[in-house]
Amino acid sequence: MNRSKSLGVALASVLLGGGALALAGFALASATPHQAALNCVPSQSAPNTCNLNLSTFPDSMAGEQGKDGGVHPDWVSYSNDNLVVPANTTVNVTIDQYDSGGSLNNAFFDQVMGTVGGTATIDGKTVSSVDPTNVGHTFTLRGIPGSGKTMFVSVPLPADSNTQSVNIGQGQYTKPVVVQFSFKTGAKGVYEWNCEFPCGSTREGQFGEAMSAYGYMSGTLTVN
Amino acid sequence: MSTSTNKQSLKGMLWTWAALTVIGVIIGLYAPAWIMPKSMSNNMHLTILTMVVFTVAAAPVAAGVYATALFALTRWTHKGNDVPSAGPAVRENAMVVTTWLVVSTLLTVFLLIWGLGALAVDNGSTGKNPLVVDVTGQQWVWSFSYPGTHVSSPDLYLPLNREVEFRVTALDVTHGFWIANMGVQVDANVGTITTIHTTPDKLGTFDIRCTQFCGLNHAFMVTEGHVLTAQQFTSWLASQPQRA
Amino acid sequence: MTTTLEQAKTAAIPQGGGLHRRLNMATAMIGGIVFASLFWYLAHHFLDATSRTYSDEVAGSLTIGWIVGFWLGIGAFVAPLRWLIGRDNTRADDLYLAGQGQGTSRYWKFTTDHKVVGVQYIIMTMVLLGAGGILAMAIRTELIVPGNHFVNQQVYNGFIAVHGMLMILALIVAVAGPWGNFVVPIMCGARDMAFPRLNALSLWTLVGAAGLLLTTLAVGSLTMGWVVLEPIADQAGVGMDFFAMAIIVFTVSTTVAGVNTICTILTMRTKGMTLARLPIFVWGAIIAAALGLYAFPYFSLVEAQTLMDRTFSTSFFVANAGGTGWLQANLFWLMGHPEVYVILLPAVAALFEIAAVMSRKPVFSYRSAVAGMTGLAGLSILVWAHHMFTTGWAPTLGGPFMLTTELISIPTGLFFLVLIGTLWRGNIWMKLPTIWMFGFIANFIIAGVTGIYLSDIPLDDQLHGTMFVTAHFHYVFVGSVLFGAVSALAFWYPKVTGRFLNEFMGRISFWLTFIGVQVTFLAMFASGLRGMPRRYSSYAFIFEHTNLMTTIGAYIIMAGMLVLLGAVITSWNKGEPAGPNPWHANSLEWMVPTPVPLENFEVLPVITEDPYNYGEELVRS
Ligand SMILES: [Cu+2]
Ligand SMILES: [Cu+2]
Ligand SMILES: [Cu+2]
Repeated sequence: MNRSKSLGVALASVLLGGGALALAGFALASATPHQAALNCVPSQSAPNTCNLNLSTFPDSMAGEQGKDGGVHPDWVSYSNDNLVVPANTTVNVTIDQYDSGGSLNNAFFDQVMGTVGGTATIDGKTVSSVDPTNVGHTFTLRGIPGSGKTMFVSVPLPADSNTQSVNIGQGQYTKPVVVQFSFKTGAKGVYEWNCEFPCGSTREGQFGEAMSAYGYMSGTLTVN
Repeated sequence: MSTSTNKQSLKGMLWTWAALTVIGVIIGLYAPAWIMPKSMSNNMHLTILTMVVFTVAAAPVAAGVYATALFALTRWTHKGNDVPSAGPAVRENAMVVTTWLVVSTLLTVFLLIWGLGALAVDNGSTGKNPLVVDVTGQQWVWSFSYPGTHVSSPDLYLPLNREVEFRVTALDVTHGFWIANMGVQVDANVGTITTIHTTPDKLGTFDIRCTQFCGLNHAFMVTEGHVLTAQQFTSWLASQPQRA
Repeated sequence: MTTTLEQAKTAAIPQGGGLHRRLNMATAMIGGIVFASLFWYLAHHFLDATSRTYSDEVAGSLTIGWIVGFWLGIGAFVAPLRWLIGRDNTRADDLYLAGQGQGTSRYWKFTTDHKVVGVQYIIMTMVLLGAGGILAMAIRTELIVPGNHFVNQQVYNGFIAVHGMLMILALIVAVAGPWGNFVVPIMCGARDMAFPRLNALSLWTLVGAAGLLLTTLAVGSLTMGWVVLEPIADQAGVGMDFFAMAIIVFTVSTTVAGVNTICTILTMRTKGMTLARLPIFVWGAIIAAALGLYAFPYFSLVEAQTLMDRTFSTSFFVANAGGTGWLQANLFWLMGHPEVYVILLPAVAALFEIAAVMSRKPVFSYRSAVAGMTGLAGLSILVWAHHMFTTGWAPTLGGPFMLTTELISIPTGLFFLVLIGTLWRGNIWMKLPTIWMFGFIANFIIAGVTGIYLSDIPLDDQLHGTMFVTAHFHYVFVGSVLFGAVSALAFWYPKVTGRFLNEFMGRISFWLTFIGVQVTFLAMFASGLRGMPRRYSSYAFIFEHTNLMTTIGAYIIMAGMLVLLGAVITSWNKGEPAGPNPWHANSLEWMVPTPVPLENFEVLPVITEDPYNYGEELVRS
């Protein structure tokens, strides 16, 4: 083969290979499940506050995992994992907690941290900490260190001991514990949150399965 | 190749070697301090110094190889497409091999002595009333508690110029406790306590990053730390909620 | 000689073969899938579905089914079974198995001819490198900017585990596989490997393992690096069972291949081929094979224990149940460090060979070359805990392990001495193999110097677990081993195909890859020095610029590799004809015709001197 022909083959290799890779990349990016964003929109009357309603379930029948609970209908789940809130706003969060619970592996997370006033209300009662041996999940949100975007919010969600049953979606649950708290959003950016109660299966620290899979017990909080 | 051109080319190689060595030494002297994070502890000074010393020591060696390779490429290559005639049939040169072995052994001994010395300094606790901090790693947050004070915090606060003893453990899987600005790193293991010492010597904020892959949110297991004056530190401790 | 060549081309398919006439890669896949389904069904049916380890038990059974079915389907057990029932292979059966007269179809079968196995390893290496490379591009695409935009962190974590493992497998076989099989027996003056059927078995076992490894991504939930860190691997989903079984199967392959290589070199040399007259590449092959025989059983062991923890609820590594991750780390690195030299030694030895031929000089200080390789192999089994300096395990052993690790720079220094000594004042023929060899020299210096930083404990306390380490071993694996492997490919390609690897495309590929490696991994060093840990799916803003540079560099490497792939494919049938001895070299593989006939030699040669007598008499034509 002469030089120009070789050059042509070289160019064709790069273009064909690169093109195939780019196509595969687009296919992959669009195949990765994206849950619909849960937007926290301020009302006209109160432009600097907005409300965010979440739930935690003992399975995946009522959340956003898809029909019949998706691939793992028996995994614990948050109702939403893709939260979008405005910057410099007070976010009022209400979490309906439908799951049973047990002991935290680190009692440190029995405290309410980083909320407005350092407190949360649990079924109407204002508290700054809960019983560490009776927790269902936590909502733990952290900032982006090294970027000046500090934020640390951690609220324990007590175990649900109600007996009255309710139906949501395809799931059947008991009446929830209602946890309410507020926090202020800072700078724009994508923050990560997850649950710090060991609610996944497998031995090491009970952090497998739902805890180690994207979109069950963790998610993002996009501030924009 | 005649002897005279050979001598010339060796002279040129020496010059190339010298020039490359100088470049290497300059990189060694300035690059580490320029790229690495701001030093905030005694360990970190030693870390950066070691980086500088090793780079400077490696410069002449690397320059020697590069100079020879460059010379091979420019002076010893065969032009044209035909088969080159044979080169000099040198199979062995006891002097060269011996010299090479002696020099590389000496360099290794130097590295070793430096390493052991630095290790002694690096690991040595001053034993002067260290502040003990219990560090707990779990998926995917750090928490810190100060024994004897009933204070726990999601961020790390340290007083200036006082030795700190970190007692590190983990609750679920192995994590890596690393303060890039202080040159200290140790794994957080389940069921075991590992200990490291350092003395912060600059005020300011730093990041603590997890260096042992720990699953889903490993990349987000990052926490801020602060070095405060002794006075600020005492008042910070007093302002924190007390836990049983 | 010509008659043999004609025979090779026109030889009819022998009458024998028996069942092998019907078996090939497709039946192997079908066998694997059928048996995997069967084992899955049985496990599903008979195991206790309420058990915590149920899904792992089912996954483990399925993977065993896959490999058993794959072996049966490719015909790995046909000959031993025939021997058992008293109908041992006839000469015609063996000739059929060796692929006589079967054209290209023999590459997709359980063919025993060492040259066919060599070519199969070339294909295998390219497939593994390609798959690992695609994952590398996905990883770098995710890391263009902070945040998880391309894939989420769960998918990303799976990518880093499988990318690492695929690339390690690819590089273990990259030089030793193709050339340890294709040229080593001819270099020794043998008609084939000592155990031709075992040779085919090792290749097809590797294919089976690679199949398992590639499916792990689809099964998913991998939450560990390629080092299969415990205790976190205990948290992973069923993909982990596939991963562990893939590694166990892979170690079967390396063990079989290692024994075969060693036996071939020790017992199959022709008359006069003393150890001191062996081409230096053969030394590299046997030392690497011996080191692999020592190292890989640890890998098998550690993954078997991982599987037992996951399926039988043992607790070797489960700290909460009394085990320890340090045990896993020790066993893993007992394999992990020697493994680096199993990868490196064949590449280095091939470069010694290439340096001698291309600079028209004897290998400088043959004894130093052998001593350096042996010394490196010996030392490498004593250094494993340098991967554990920061784990907190046995801090008092830090000093001794720092000593053994730093001693490594002495044999490594000998490699440079031999390479440079061989090039010294030579008449260096600047062809493709030579160019990639110079790339190796430039990169291996950087790999070596940064390795010294990491061997020093106070520095390792800063750099361990960061992108600095990642950049260091990528300079070893990409910058050095891959360059050595391409050099070897360009050098022996004419022997395989009778044609040169396209010189011009090879040069374009070299420059793209060489520049790409510097951009990618120098920037990665900077990320690590600045403080970016490894295996991060997202990073702080201070690492933005260096990560962007790394991604750009990685794309350039990809372009370089694609050009190389294009050159390999197009030159196979259309390249410039090369003749039997295009480099005018003296070792035996260049003395036989191209294509090399079945069983290599019509009459076994008698050796009277080593192949490096350049300049001592006129170069033989
Ligand atoms: Cu939870
Ligand atoms: Cu971690
Ligand atoms: Cu090592």
